[in-house]
Amino acid sequence: MSFKTAMEGYAKYEGLGNWAFILHRLAGLGVILFLIIHVLDTAAVYFKPSLYAEAVSLYRSPVFGIGEIILVLCVIYHGLNGLRIIYFDMINPNLWTIEINRKSVIWTWIITLVLWLPAAVVMGSHIIEHLGS
Amino acid sequence: MTTQTRKVEVPQGWEAFAWKWMRYSGVLIFILAWIHVLIQDILVGVYKIDINYVAGRWHGGFWRVYDFLLLFFAFSHGMNGTRQVLADYIHGAGARRALNWILLIIWAVVVVIGTVAIFGFTPPAA
Ligand code: HEM
Ligand code: HEM
Repeated sequence: MSFKTAMEGYAKYEGLGNWAFILHRLAGLGVILFLIIHVLDTAAVYFKPSLYAEAVSLYRSPVFGIGEIILVLCVIYHGLNGLRIIYFDMINPNLWTIEINRKSVIWTWIITLVLWLPAAVVMGSHIIEHLGS
Repeated sequence: MTTQTRKVEVPQGWEAFAWKWMRYSGVLIFILAWIHVLIQDILVGVYKIDINYVAGRWHGGFWRVYDFLLLFFAFSHGMNGTRQVLADYIHGAGARRALNWILLIIWAVVVVIGTVAIFGFTPPAA
């Protein structure tokens, strides 16, 4: 079973819309995994403050820094693509045609990159500034 | 090209509610999560975050209520989404019921822990 088949489950069809769906799924799962950890470590502020300091110092390592840049990509893409889905489903279902779906997927990817790149630069420069400190 | 969409009747019930929930909560999370990530991750950055920073933010009520709404809506959306994904691979009725219960328990435990922390926290006297 290829990775793509594994992600699609049983509804199999080809095309950009399918990749939009797979990436939406991966991004959503990535964010919820982060969120479980994030809520629990933030809760340490109340339950065990010394643990919070330890957790944050872990987040300051470059590996986690890169993870955060990817997390921001997930939040931006999943959010924009989610709004696209919501608009089509709830407001104008006539837009669910192969042609319009295809175009709107490409636009979603373009806007995602345009929003993400400056954020990645800012976060990347924070990481570099703090290297070795 | 004449591709047409067609309307189908969807039975109303829990799953229809969950489907709508993903969409309504999505709009709200879009605002809450993006502002949160913009402030915390991009503008402030983890290098300036420590317990005193959180104490400053949770001093008054506004950010506590904000964080609670974010917790409730984003976590419920994400857990229901996880349920949707797993249901694509888990097919037996019994297994699905078990899945629903496990996710519901994880959801409840994490929401309670997060909520207690948000409202129970008292900033150390400065
Ligand atoms: C930023 C605003 C967000 C919007 C507009 C949004 C929108 C959506 C929509 C419309 C769906 C349903 C997709 C479908 O039925 O095919 C969905 C699924 C999902 N969302 Fe979100 N979402 C947002 C944030 C989040 C966050 C913060 C998380 C994690 C905590 C998350 C996790 C998930 C998961 C795991 C799924 C299931 C994916 C699947 O079934 O393939 N979402 N989202
Ligand atoms: C890596 C980027 C992020 C950073 C640096 C960050 C930082 C923080 C900080 C410092 C707090 C403590 C409370 C406050 O200051 O208001 C907090 C709480 C919280 N954050 Fe984030 N956050 C990030 C990403 C996210 C994302 C993507 C989500 C949701 C999709 C999220 C959801 C929450 C929630 C629900 C709380 C309350 C936690 C609790 O109840 O214990 N955060 N975050």
